[in-house]
Parts: sequence; C-alpha cells; structure tokens
Amino acid sequence: MPRRHLVVGGGTAGMNAMRTIREEEAERSEITLVSAEKPYSRMVLPYYLDRSIAESHVFTATAAVLAEWGVKTQLGRRAAKLDTVAHVCTLDDGTALEYDDCLIATGSSAVKAPVPGADLPGVHSFWTLDQCRALIADTKPGSHVVMVGAGFIAFTILNSILALGATLTIVEIAPRILPRMIDATGAQLVEGWLRQHGVTIRTDAKLTAIEKAKGRKRLRFATGGDLVCDVVIMATGIRTNLDWLKNSGIRINQGILVDDHLRSTVANVYAAGDVAEGPERVSGSAVVHAIEPTAQEHGRVAGANMAGKDVRYRGSLLMNIVEVCHLDVASFGAWDDPKAEAVTGLKADRPAYRKLLWTGDRLTGAIILGPSSDIWTTNDVGMLKGLVQAQMPLGRFKEYLWSNPFDIKPAYIASKTTARLLHETVLGRPAKAPGTTPVAV
Amino acid sequence: MRVLKITPEKCTGCLRCELACSYVQTGTFQPAKSVIRVSPFEGHTSYAPYTCTQCAEGWCMTACPVGAITINAAGAKDVLDDLCVGCKLCTIACPYGTMFYDPDTGKAFKCNLCEGDPACAHACPTAAITYEDVATVDWLGDFAAERTSRLLAGVS
Repeated sequence: MPRRHLVVGGGTAGMNAMRTIREEEAERSEITLVSAEKPYSRMVLPYYLDRSIAESHVFTATAAVLAEWGVKTQLGRRAAKLDTVAHVCTLDDGTALEYDDCLIATGSSAVKAPVPGADLPGVHSFWTLDQCRALIADTKPGSHVVMVGAGFIAFTILNSILALGATLTIVEIAPRILPRMIDATGAQLVEGWLRQHGVTIRTDAKLTAIEKAKGRKRLRFATGGDLVCDVVIMATGIRTNLDWLKNSGIRINQGILVDDHLRSTVANVYAAGDVAEGPERVSGSAVVHAIEPTAQEHGRVAGANMAGKDVRYRGSLLMNIVEVCHLDVASFGAWDDPKAEAVTGLKADRPAYRKLLWTGDRLTGAIILGPSSDIWTTNDVGMLKGLVQAQMPLGRFKEYLWSNPFDIKPAYIASKTTARLLHETVLGRPAKAPGTTPVAV
Repeated sequence: MRVLKITPEKCTGCLRCELACSYVQTGTFQPAKSVIRVSPFEGHTSYAPYTCTQCAEGWCMTACPVGAITINAAGAKDVLDDLCVGCKLCTIACPYGTMFYDPDTGKAFKCNLCEGDPACAHACPTAAITYEDVATVDWLGDFAAERTSRLLAGVS
C-alpha cells in the first residue's frame, strides 16, 4: 500500500480526498498537502462578498484540523513540476517532495478577456478569496458595477452586488445570458426578470478596451456606446491549472484523462475536480465537469483508491443551480443535447419554465426555473435530479410527463425511483458526517 | 436505527403530519414548510406522505461545501443553521426531492427526525407514519404504481 500520499491542491477535491484516505486506510500513511492558498470553499465566497457570513466561515480546514488529520502542509507554495518517473514533485521554491502516489487537484483560475486595460486597478476577477477581498474593498453603496460575462460565475454574485447597494450592468458577448447553463427560452425569461429588478443587460456586446476615466473606468465596445462605471468584474471564464504538468508524461486532453478509478495514464497519479476529464454518468464518455459536486465525488473516490480500496466511480452528473432576485434557475445532465427529445412547459402568468429531455423513456436532462417562493413548495428540483441520476426507464410515465411537465412527483413515486436509488452510495458504504474526525489508525 | 415507516394504505389525507411537522420544525402551522408532504393519488381517492429516507449516501451532506449538514443523535441528516449559507447545492444533490429551502430564513431545511421524537408520527391518527427500527425501503412505490389509472388515462 502507498505509504506517502501527495495531494496537490487544497480545494474541494483535495480536501475530500485527504479526509477519505484517513477514513479508508488500513494503516496510517503520510499525507502531504501542497496548496497555494489556505483551504476554503469558493462556493460560499458570494456570501462573504455581501457580508452575510464572516470571512472565517469560508475556510474548510484550519491548521488545527489539518494537524488532527496528520497532514503535513506546504501552504502558499505551488507545484512547478512533476517527475512521474522518479516520483518527485518540485515546488516553486525548489522543494522536492517524493511520493508513492499523487493526486492532482489544482483546479482552475479565472481568465480575463484579453483587452487593453484588463489589468487596470479596479478591474476584478471573482474566483479566489483574495479577489473577493479586493472586490469588497472596491464596491460601495451607489457604485456602478459592470460585470463582463453573463455565465454561471457572474450569476452567483449578482445578488451580492445588489445587496451591497451597487447598480449593476451586465454585458455579454453572446446574444444571450447563461449560455452554458440553460436554453434560450429560459435565458429570455431570466433576462426579463432581471430587467424588472433593475439590472441592465447588454447582449451581443464585444468589449474592446477599458480605459481610465477621472477615477472611474470607461468600457468601449465594438458596437454601441461606451459605459462608464466604478468597478469592473471580468467573469469571462476559467482555465484549468495544468501548465505545470507539461512534459510529465501524463495524457491531457481537455483535462487530465482519468479512468473510472480517477487514475491518470500514469498508474500512481490520480486527478480530481476541474482538472480531471473523467466518465460522465449517463453517457459514460470522458468529460470535464468543473462543478463543486464533481470535485467532491472525484476527491472521495480518488482518496478511497489511494487508500488501497477498489472503488469504481459511476460518473459525474452535470448540475447547477443559481438564484437571482428570488428566481431559481437549475439544470441537470444533458440539458442541451440536440439529439434528445424535448418537452417544455411555460407558465403564462408567472416566470416558471421546465424542459425535460429524453433518450427513449429515460430522462437524460432537465431545466427547472421558477420563483424561489414556490419552487420549494414542491419536491421537483431533487426529483428531477433523481430521475436523471437513476436513469429510470419511465415507460408510460414518459407520456404523462410529456403532457404534465410541472407534475413530476406522481411519476417519480409510481415509477419506484426511490427503490432504485436507495442502495446507491459513492464509496460503497454510508457516508460519514463531516464533523467526524477520521479514526487515526 | 429507527426510521419513519410509511404505510400509505392507512393514510387518510388529514394533513395532521404536515401541520405538526411545520410547527415543530419552523414554529408555524404551515404545510408549505413541512418536510413531510402528503400527496394525493387517483384524483384524491387516496393519499400518502413522502419524506426523507435518511439515505446511506446522504447526498445533501456530502454535497455541502461547508460541512453544514451532519448526522444527529437519531441518525438523521441534519442542517446546522449557523453553518448553512443557503447556496442550495444540497437541494440539487438530493435525488429524492426532500431537501428544501426556506426563503424566509435563507437556509436549507429537511427532516431531522425531530432529533429522535418525530412529530409527524405522533400526530398521525391512523399509524400511517410510525417510528420504528426497520430497514428503509421504498414505502410508496408499489402503492403509487397500483394507483396510476387516472394518471395514465389518455396516455396510450
């Protein structure tokens, strides 16, 4: 069994892997964590941005917890090189760490649109804790904030910016918002909703430059007038942190190619989270799902296998949810599969929309959208996830749902989806509570 | 562990479980805030309550990015309000549809078995909901499957 585990990256994937190694191992091993930042959750940064939580709330493991887990740390350091023949990882300060097996969980970084002025002070990214702190310092009640990009990350901080008392304008290069999360009908509905709530949206807007303008910023576009504002947030995408693995011999496609045990093409090197290209749940094909639940599951499965268990991963399921001005927007699975049969339901009198996508009599993707105040009075959000996850053959219930896309529950229950799901666990055993300190063996 | 055993044939649709649940869980008599939900079948000719199975995976618990869902002394998955930020990730991770979000508090909420003394089981006048040391199964599947003729009327 490997005696020395090296975990590169202290985000969701790395943290889950370390915890699972301690839960699963038969003999106490050595774990070393290399992380550029102290471990924290990016998911909750929007709640720190609007001060609904304290900064201390974002951290996922204190130094004391890591010590309790028996993890040696190299914090503030980045991995610079991986020698997969000698089994040595070299850090940016020259430190060489030998390993028996290694998990690559270096995640992603925010990328700014490559325009002149993108590096000016007051032009922010929102991805890391440091970037969150900088944005907090710059955003005041009455500030005019321009968000460049209308994707998922932008939408996760939309409420926070409004809660800070700022005025918000969203500019998007594509003809519509949320292009990688919902379809055009849903996007149109969300756009209308946001306009009603005082958010200005400009689509088809190609930013060409950002200039200083008497203490403020001037944004220039390929077409249409300039925008002058106080704060610019570039929510223009993320890029996986893989550059340091050049010449490592590990096969990289969109991400590090991993098998159903989260192993890369080098046997003792695993990858998890945003950097991993692994099996997708429904199709089985290799995908990068840069989302929190995938990082968590990848991390746990990789950790179990590093601890000597034989755990096969069933594959990741794409899922996203975001709430904007009390409108919930969620999508699951292959929600944009052009080959799927699709049925939609749209309420005339309120912003409520469903899309169900089918392959045969199985639900392979779904979009659900509605006011927070009523979406949670049904069980539909989770049940849609369950139907996609279980790949239930729905038989005649498919036709029922085809005519009644807002009435998920009777079909879910009568098709006995619960029976199919009850025995499934990610690690082949009940999950442990997060507060439970793994038993030191 | 003791779980909520549902015997749907005994349910009369009185909704006392929903009132008791919402009162104990949130302090208001408001079925919309109950985490046990009674559903009608066959055009309101029969009813059955549906709630969290306290599943082995605990999809809500493993999904939480800040460890705000734990296992309480009764063995139930339980939300720690002071840690929950309201990101709703648990609500899309739960494949049973039994993770809820309260817009009034901004927190997720779910069945926590009332920490070992479930109000719904107390309130049920017909023992359709009992708190017993049995293995959790799909309590409603067969019942619902036998009551689909109206649901599937008009479906070829």
